[in-house]
Amino acid sequence: MIQLKNLERSYKTPAGQTWVLRRINLEIREGEFITIMGPSGAGKSSLLNVLALLDDSWQGEYWFREQAVHEMKRKQRSEVAKRNIGMVFQSYHLLDDLTVGENIDLPLSYKDVPRSERQAMVADTLDRFQIVAKKALFPSQLSGGQQQLVGVARAVIHKPALLLADEPTGNLHSSQAKEIMELFHELNQQGTTIVQVTHSEANAAYGSRTIQLRDGWMLSDTSNPELRPYEAVRQ
Amino acid sequence: METLIHDVRYGLRMLRKSPAFTAVAIAALALGIASTTAIFSVVDVVLLHPLPYPDSGRIVLISQTVRSTGQDMGDSSPANYLDWAEQNHVFSHIAASRGMQGNLTGGERPERIRYTVASGDFFSLFGVGPQLGRSLLPDDEKPGNDHVTVLSYALWKRLGADPSLVGRNIALNGEPYTAIGVMPASFAPDDYGELWVPSPWDVPAHPLNPQADPRALRDSSYIDVWGRLKPGVTLDQARAEMAAIARRLEKQYPNANDDVGISLVSMQDSLVSDIRPVLWVLLGAVGCVLLIGCANVANLLLARATTRTREISIRTALGASWLRLARQMLTESILLALCGGLLGILLAWWAVPALLTMSPPEISNFKHIGLNPEVLGFSLAISLLSGILFGLAPAFHASQSNLDESLKEGERGSTGGRGRTRSALVVTEVGLSLVLLIGAGLMLKSFVRLMNVDPGFDPNHLLVFSVGLPPSASSAQQDAFYREVVERLQALPGVQSVGAVSRLPLVGGNSSRSFNLPGSTKSYTADLRVSTPGYFRTMGIPLRAGRNLTEQDAQASAQVAVVNEALARNVFPGEDAVGKYIVNFGPLNNKIQIVGIVGNVRHIGLETTPRPEVYLPFGQAHWPSVFVAVRCNTSHPLALTSAVQNVVWSVDKDVPLANLRTMQGVIASSVMRRRFTTLLLAIFSALALLLAAVGLYGVMSYTVSQRTREVGIRMALGARRSDVMKLVVGQGMALVGVGLGLGLLASIALRRVMSGLLFGVSATDPLVFSAFAVLMAIVALLANCLPARRAARVDPMVALRYE
Repeated sequence: MIQLKNLERSYKTPAGQTWVLRRINLEIREGEFITIMGPSGAGKSSLLNVLALLDDSWQGEYWFREQAVHEMKRKQRSEVAKRNIGMVFQSYHLLDDLTVGENIDLPLSYKDVPRSERQAMVADTLDRFQIVAKKALFPSQLSGGQQQLVGVARAVIHKPALLLADEPTGNLHSSQAKEIMELFHELNQQGTTIVQVTHSEANAAYGSRTIQLRDGWMLSDTSNPELRPYEAVRQ
Repeated sequence: METLIHDVRYGLRMLRKSPAFTAVAIAALALGIASTTAIFSVVDVVLLHPLPYPDSGRIVLISQTVRSTGQDMGDSSPANYLDWAEQNHVFSHIAASRGMQGNLTGGERPERIRYTVASGDFFSLFGVGPQLGRSLLPDDEKPGNDHVTVLSYALWKRLGADPSLVGRNIALNGEPYTAIGVMPASFAPDDYGELWVPSPWDVPAHPLNPQADPRALRDSSYIDVWGRLKPGVTLDQARAEMAAIARRLEKQYPNANDDVGISLVSMQDSLVSDIRPVLWVLLGAVGCVLLIGCANVANLLLARATTRTREISIRTALGASWLRLARQMLTESILLALCGGLLGILLAWWAVPALLTMSPPEISNFKHIGLNPEVLGFSLAISLLSGILFGLAPAFHASQSNLDESLKEGERGSTGGRGRTRSALVVTEVGLSLVLLIGAGLMLKSFVRLMNVDPGFDPNHLLVFSVGLPPSASSAQQDAFYREVVERLQALPGVQSVGAVSRLPLVGGNSSRSFNLPGSTKSYTADLRVSTPGYFRTMGIPLRAGRNLTEQDAQASAQVAVVNEALARNVFPGEDAVGKYIVNFGPLNNKIQIVGIVGNVRHIGLETTPRPEVYLPFGQAHWPSVFVAVRCNTSHPLALTSAVQNVVWSVDKDVPLANLRTMQGVIASSVMRRRFTTLLLAIFSALALLLAAVGLYGVMSYTVSQRTREVGIRMALGARRSDVMKLVVGQGMALVGVGLGLGLLASIALRRVMSGLLFGVSATDPLVFSAFAVLMAIVALLANCLPARRAARVDPMVALRYE
């Protein structure tokens, strides 16, 4: 599904260039459930942002379903993201002034889906996530777990092939976290490719493959035991 | 006290900390306070201050009216005045005066001046003593004693400001008058007072017959009458008694006093009644500008208060009461207001003289307009009031902050925040700006309409001036002088034609006379003009029927006249007026045959419908002074000034020229009040538009900065830049829409205020309303687009990092 070849990302700072991703070579296959782990500052979120096509300032090659994303302009990349990718955030990022139903509807409204179709899809999603009763509530009226449930529902309403989750349970109680992870597992079973960033070994256990990052380098990949430790590369 | 000093110090530190915010806030306030101060300095002197005469509220102007219609005739007759003076019990003083033009000679050059012939009680009525010497006394009216004069301060200065001038002779109209005193600069009861002379008959003589005793004249109204109410007598009581006297005189003199009433108007009202609505409208306009400025600053302070939520939360957590926080906020806003006020006063100090140079005579005649202590007090008061007004919103906001919520918000930012106060302020700004824009638009359209009015003559390439021989000159001498001047001017190179007339259009002044048709007692009224044959051609007044006046008419025994279309249509409807006769026209008792009809001329003002006019030829009728019109080949008629002066002096070296200017200049002067109002309203509305745009931009920028995270989320969920633009612009324009709606409603509600100031335009003119609403919407859209573009450029990655 995705191939990253020699992908690098850096920031210019007064002190010089700071590298956040170094020579990333990664292949993500359809239906995988990948966990990215690593200490703070390892580059996990940066890698997720690159995968989500929110970040354009990287070098290297990015192939998405045989399409050369690295050759695309911003607008084309947005289209690819809009059609194929859904995102779940640690802080849920629900819009406070929109109801649950309106929040879920948001990605569809940006895809120019006809209104009647959208209404049906929102109703289906609310039903599927069992939050029909919450439809007219505002985010502030929900618990953290419920808010993240809405966040996931919003991320998958347009049936994305790839779901990216940045520490989706970071702000949740362990029981709520388990619920969300069960949901991810279920979505994965139904065919959605998932890439999650997490610090939690328990969450990582839901995935089929784990990648470790440190200082921007890929340290290990459970699907590729041959991957050389980054210290060796650096030397 | 210590807390206050601490608050002030902290406030100053906060203002220094955000120089851009401080500069924008002070500039917005300074503009509002400067405009308000400048207009108030005029309103204060013209409308609120008593006139510079002791107990001036008791001085009234008395004049004859047409009782049945209530129309004020402006002047009164000498005989009626003398009867009023004898029969009334309500005035402690009553006096008559008549403005004249005369020639002052004896200096390097002769000078045409405006002087007043006054009755003996004139100066004591106003209660102002002379600065030098003495004023006129009743004894000065006795024949033989009457060649004395009191000088105005301005004329005395022009003559060298020599105190020894008092007691010396000056030559007025070729006769010696002893200067007995000089009045202070503030003494100017009417437009004519460059000097004052007594009348030998206790009442001014008729200007067309200055040597004759006028005391028996009852059907000739030409004097101004002034009265001072006795202590304890109200204006209404005086009106009642004078009405009774008028009815008595009507019975006694049914021919001359048929339907003659008396009107009493306070002197202040008579001076300012025309300009009062203009000044109130302008004061309202600057009040709006100030309010918009305050709303802007309140918005800026509110935005800043939101960013200071954490500071407020910490202060609250440390035990600060609501009152203490509010006081801190108010101290900062009042500091800001005082800085704005100070800068505003400096701007006003520069603006007031500029304002006076373009103001009409009704304002510029008040010599002591300026930033007096009362105006400065007013400015200080509005500065403080503004500070409190725009400081209340952030203070209230501070009092409403929820500690827990504030700390949470500070941690993770917000995607919401309804900001109702800010929205309300923006709506108010847009609404007020639209009211001002519509007001200015209506005035502008009105002014354009007025300037497009056909005055009835061609004002281009015309040089005009007034000239006259002394009243002692005989009619024959006057006629000969005018003829000579016209002939010699006609011979000047660059001159196409020359004409002279007793009353020139649009320069002020009029002479109305009644007449009958032969065999009828029905009375008509027409304005009298005495003109030379070349006048119509020179002015470009078209001949509609019959013939023009000719040189031969002056000598002919049969009296002839040319009338205007208005008279022909009103008096001879459906008939040909040429060849018809009128009788008893003013001083002429003979039958006058109408020999021609000319086009109507707008004499009183461009906005006034032409009235019936009768033009008599010089020779058959006479006038003590004339206006001469010179049509030139050049487009710069003033280039002929010195040549024209030399021609007049070649005929008589003691005759000065006055009011020499182009006819375009005359038209410009005649619309000065309208231009003044239009220009100021345009300036204030542009200022309001600018401030509203800045305010809207500020609020939308703030909103965008507050919604960065929301925009990031939306973009992460697939929103395009255009979606974000639409979101931000839509939010801003929704506020603008509400503001526009309210502004339109307010403008409709204010139509009565505006309608009195307009000409040829409805106060709810749909074109003006829609054009300015669209203009406001376009400016608001631009002010919205900048923050919206910034929002659309938000990097979702950066935005999401806000968490």
